[in-house]
Amino acid sequence: MIDSPVLSIVLPLLGAFLLPVLMRVSLGLGLWVGPAILIYGGWILAQLAIDGSALPMSLGIGGFAPPLGINLYIDQTALLFAFATQLLGLIFWPFQLDSDTPRRQSLMLLLVAASTGLALSGDLFNLYVFYELVAVASFGLITASGRPAAHAATFRYLVLSGIGSVFTLLGIALLYSQTGTLNLAHLAELAPEQLNNKLGLTAFLLMLIGIGVKAELFPVNTWVPEVYATASHRLSAFLAGLVSKLAMLVILRLLILVFHQPEALQIVLLLGILGVISGELAAWRARDMRRMLAFSSIGQLGMIFIALSLPDDRGLLAVLALSLHHMIVKSGLFMLTDGWGGSLRKLKGLGKRAPFGSALFVLFALSLVGMPPLPGFWAKFTLISELASQSSSLYLIGLVVFLLATVVETSYLFRIAGWLYQQPDDSPVSEPPPRLGGLSLSTAGLFGAALIAATLWIGPVGERLQAMAVQTRQVSLYIDTVKPQLKQAAQASPDASAAAFDNRRLAASSCETCTPMGDEQ
Amino acid sequence: MIVSLLDELLIFSATTLLVAFVLGRGLAVGWMATLLYAGQLLVLFKMAPLGYGAQPIASELGFEVMGQSLSWQFDAMSWFFALITLVAALLTSWYASGEWERKFRSQGGNVWLFHVAMALNVLTMLILLASGDLLSLFIGWELVTWAGFLLMTMAGGPATRAAMRYITYAVIGGMAVFGGIALVYASAGSLQYDAILTAATRMPVGYLWVLVLLFAGGFGIKLGLLPFHLWQAPAYAETPGPGSAFLGAISSRMGLFAILLVLVKLFGIVNIENLKIPFTLIDARDLLAWIAVFTIILPTYTAMKQNDARYLLAWHGIGQGGYMLLGLVVANALGSAGGLLHILNYALCQAALLLTVFAVQHRTGTADLNKMGGLVTRMPLSFLVLLCGIIGLAGLPPMNGFVSKWLVYRSLLDQGMPLLFLGAIIGTLGTILSVYKLIHNMFLGQLRVEHEHIQEAPWSMMLPMLILAALIFLTGLLPGIPLTWVASVQQSLGLPAIDFTLGGITAKSGSLDMIWVIGVLFAGFGIGALIFYSAGRSKRVHQLDNYAGGHFLTADVRYQYSDNFYSGLMHLIGGWYRGSFLWLEKSISSLIEFLSLVMKGVYRRANPEFYLMSAVLFLLAWVVI
Amino acid sequence: MLPIELLLELTLMPLVAFIVGMMMVLMMRRIAARIQRRVGPPFFQPLYDIVKLHSKRTQVSHGLIHDIGIVMAMGGYIAAETLLPVPGMDGIADKGGIITLLYLMMIPSLGLALGVGQCANPNGSIGIARALTAMLAYDIPLVIVIFGVAYAAGTTNLVDIIATQQAGGFASWGAVQNPLLALAGLIAMHASLGKQPFEIYIAPAEIATGPMVEMGGKYLGGLFVMQCFQLYTTSVLYVSLFLGGGTTWFDFLLKSFLVLAIPVSIAYLFPRYRTEDLLRLMWKWPVMLGLIGLAFVM
Repeated sequence: MIDSPVLSIVLPLLGAFLLPVLMRVSLGLGLWVGPAILIYGGWILAQLAIDGSALPMSLGIGGFAPPLGINLYIDQTALLFAFATQLLGLIFWPFQLDSDTPRRQSLMLLLVAASTGLALSGDLFNLYVFYELVAVASFGLITASGRPAAHAATFRYLVLSGIGSVFTLLGIALLYSQTGTLNLAHLAELAPEQLNNKLGLTAFLLMLIGIGVKAELFPVNTWVPEVYATASHRLSAFLAGLVSKLAMLVILRLLILVFHQPEALQIVLLLGILGVISGELAAWRARDMRRMLAFSSIGQLGMIFIALSLPDDRGLLAVLALSLHHMIVKSGLFMLTDGWGGSLRKLKGLGKRAPFGSALFVLFALSLVGMPPLPGFWAKFTLISELASQSSSLYLIGLVVFLLATVVETSYLFRIAGWLYQQPDDSPVSEPPPRLGGLSLSTAGLFGAALIAATLWIGPVGERLQAMAVQTRQVSLYIDTVKPQLKQAAQASPDASAAAFDNRRLAASSCETCTPMGDEQ
Repeated sequence: MIVSLLDELLIFSATTLLVAFVLGRGLAVGWMATLLYAGQLLVLFKMAPLGYGAQPIASELGFEVMGQSLSWQFDAMSWFFALITLVAALLTSWYASGEWERKFRSQGGNVWLFHVAMALNVLTMLILLASGDLLSLFIGWELVTWAGFLLMTMAGGPATRAAMRYITYAVIGGMAVFGGIALVYASAGSLQYDAILTAATRMPVGYLWVLVLLFAGGFGIKLGLLPFHLWQAPAYAETPGPGSAFLGAISSRMGLFAILLVLVKLFGIVNIENLKIPFTLIDARDLLAWIAVFTIILPTYTAMKQNDARYLLAWHGIGQGGYMLLGLVVANALGSAGGLLHILNYALCQAALLLTVFAVQHRTGTADLNKMGGLVTRMPLSFLVLLCGIIGLAGLPPMNGFVSKWLVYRSLLDQGMPLLFLGAIIGTLGTILSVYKLIHNMFLGQLRVEHEHIQEAPWSMMLPMLILAALIFLTGLLPGIPLTWVASVQQSLGLPAIDFTLGGITAKSGSLDMIWVIGVLFAGFGIGALIFYSAGRSKRVHQLDNYAGGHFLTADVRYQYSDNFYSGLMHLIGGWYRGSFLWLEKSISSLIEFLSLVMKGVYRRANPEFYLMSAVLFLLAWVVI
Repeated sequence: MLPIELLLELTLMPLVAFIVGMMMVLMMRRIAARIQRRVGPPFFQPLYDIVKLHSKRTQVSHGLIHDIGIVMAMGGYIAAETLLPVPGMDGIADKGGIITLLYLMMIPSLGLALGVGQCANPNGSIGIARALTAMLAYDIPLVIVIFGVAYAAGTTNLVDIIATQQAGGFASWGAVQNPLLALAGLIAMHASLGKQPFEIYIAPAEIATGPMVEMGGKYLGGLFVMQCFQLYTTSVLYVSLFLGGGTTWFDFLLKSFLVLAIPVSIAYLFPRYRTEDLLRLMWKWPVMLGLIGLAFVM
């Protein structure tokens, strides 16, 4: 018997509200609650993943059946990201003890809850709500954890995000006015007839720009460098590594399920290319490791957007591989900025003093630029082989930009590597040499180990991702998984409670119908 | 699992790396590594039938990743390149063991890292040479690139700067190849050689052009082809001694290996010949040939101006690569044999030369050509090795370089390519001029006071150098031995195979028999010696007992001509050195700097809403229109 | 061919070359004397000179390489003669060909350069630097010429090249077929002899005779022998390439002496060029002539 994955959203949410109270009662107990919730959530999701037969499944919550109610759609991709959320939440848990601890921890729980929701949610309205929650939680966390400069950065982020939300909402409203539903499966069914027009495209663009704020989409990503540079390194790692991917996942869902216009893909591709160009070039000039990583993150997300615009399974495989890879590598790199932040010049000759950290940096950098046989290579290879097989010339431009960006990337990453292994200057250093915290280092080591493990088991990992991509790409599978629920809801809508509380059985039954269908397709 | 010979070789090589990695802090690591290289060479000898036309040996290892299958195998060409690689590795590692290593350590060098990097380079090169499909080729390629980077960067300071420049170029090349592979995959649907072979025949002309440019450019960067040659000389020259010799001997040739594999074997030189440049008389093959000739000439004349022995040789390395490519793109039996043979011959010469230069540096502490002189009296054996090396490099009889260059000249003659021929000869003449400068400024002329008591290089360094010198002479005397392997390589590439004898080549339009040529040459020397020594005994005088226009020479007077050695020539051609490539490189990096500033400015603007709004407006406008 | 015959040829060819070479030196001196209104030396003067130099009592050596350089300078030419066919004797010309010959002729220069370098006199080194530069100057037109001839004949084998010219009579001579190449070759040959106006590398007043500055006795004697060979090799090569070689010894020698007389006569009428002027001259006129000639061949 598997516990409902809903718990992985509900429990952190609950925890987020109860934690400040609990901590006032007993600090010792309170400190354990957050991690416990996350471990439990991770365990639920892991069980689901191990027992892959139940996937994909659809869950309705909260007493309202779709299309009005909340509904979760869980396939392998969603599960992967949800699991990663719990895991990374745990890894980047804000454990520091000070007056702000309760606030920080509850915000973190909120962020995890909202992020998991973002990954699993099956209708647009909930997506929007979770999206806003993510935004709120991250504003709070950035200001709570960072330096004073973080306030200014956050304000900028806030403005941008706010306007973005308005646009998103506008897009959702447009969709609703056109189709009368916000459930993704329902939308997917209706899309070919009702949304394959300029109105649909407009709605998509509005949502793209809105959600793109979080997904570091060019040109609405100007908040990125300052926020990542001023927030704590652990939070930056979480935001850059995970949250951006979740926003990207939402766009991915929209593209696959709802918006099939070639223009939609083109615009994503175009913005992706611009993101790559601007991010990588800006990183080349950056003289501070965090900003450099932030810019590089923009560039990497740009590459993922390029991959996103590819119309078939291998393209999706590239998206997944690139996202996962970037998640691991960028998180690891941000962990290294603990103490290594500030001017890059400080890093001169650090290779002798921090051999392990430097070696990790080189490992991450190598994977980021795509040196075989590290996983980054396979991700990039999938992307460019797919780009090359497209007929549109814009894709070829994307290919060229991608390749050139990699050169720039190598140049700035290995400039740092060069400094790390340089002989330290003989001149007396006025400031103390940067020190890398033990915890950060070991966390980075963890990501390094994950990277190496992925290198060694690249075959199975690749197969898994491939299966994931195939599953996610099947629109009919999505519709068929959620549909029985829709029908049932239609029958039972006067008395919604009966249907809603029995969602688990429903999910199981829907899977019996869908799994063989998945095989057929 | 049955382990094939190839697996045995790779395992042996990996073991070498492991031993260097684990035991590298110990004292005898150099000797152990040398023994292990010798072991690898033995395994390679067991595979010798490959060099005589046997079927390729496949590795039992194979992967399937994301729908791509990877395989590894050795054929005649892999074997030929691996032979050069391992001989170079064995001798340079031998050279590094013992005395050199001790001094390197005492000067603050990291011996452990050096041996690890060497072993890594050898392993990755073997992996590259063993590639059985385009993807494994690329993996091997990148591995070699980064392994080379490790070896180049380890000395720190200027070496790191040079290595950074190298890696930037190498990544540009790697990305060009990567793009090319993606295009091949898109068109052939697979990266297996068979599939590409069939797909290549029906590719449209434009597509083929793009591929040829991408692959030739990408692999050519490692080869140091113009205009991508700037990285090579400093990167190789600044690498620690034996590493420099190893890289100089073989590293760049990996580019040639890949070019051969992709452009000659897969696309076929005939296909390439069909690619015409519109409105001109030349096709893609001519283009490559001209690039090769300019790669011969320009770096060679840059070498002539160098005042550091290491840089001088490293610049020549670029130029000699041009001969190989030139011979190979001519692609008839003689030319391709010449190109292939030159890889071996050049590797031996360059290794010998660089090792000698570093041996001299080991003793004198400098490689500055203006700070040496007269060392022949102190280091006669080193002089001998250097002499063999420069004669080979310049391509004069009786050393091996002559044979391979002769083949290239002959092929150009047969094909009626006078200007390319002239270019090749101009390069040779430039080589003669600059290697004379090298040997003169190091070994001839006045011995400096501070060098009066230095000794010959230690035997641990001298023996590998002497072996190299002997090999240079032997492969010059009996070119038939390596030509056997070359002929097998030609067959495996699908090129016409050369008709050869033990002493050289027989052809209707003019033959060469090195045994006779060398025979009469040494007979001539014998007669000359007879005449010379039959005359009265000569008296040895001190170097300061010399004509100085009436002045008395003392030890504190520099009586040596070394700087601006070819001043007369430079009066005329000095103005032709414009540094155009440097200018190009600088302007490109300035352009990136500028763009980078612009982009940074974009992100630093304080009113992000503005972007958001304008983006939305723009997109909406786009949708509506 | 019997080995013993071959051996005989290989011995005779350098010997003949040496004797003819000495006669050529004599001719050169006589021509110089006539131009300068002198009588000139007696017939055996070159031989006397060689014997005299070799039997001098003061022989100054600057080290082993100094000696070896001279040996190489002589030995290289001795070897080169066996690749140069003369009437009735082909030696091993078919085993080397014209490219090998060209490169073998660089060995003496290399030997001389090494020997001079060991002398540790900057004047000598400057001379060698100039000599090598001069080589760069004249070899470029020379190579164009050789390419043209070899391409026209379809072979690099000198025996075949000569045979083709002789088979067709006067009209098939290289000089008739490719007059421009022949002219370019003549200029290049003149420069390669290192005679005025191309003798900047010796420049006695400036660098004290350059390469020869530390040479005396048998060292100078060796160089003298080398010069005999050089005159012979150059003129015979030219005759072989452009004037149909020799069917009999008489016309072979006649042609050779005549060919050599041209540059030698010119030489004594001219002052010398500076190095860069030599380069400029060589890279302009003979290269242009050669390329045009080549265009006719192709």
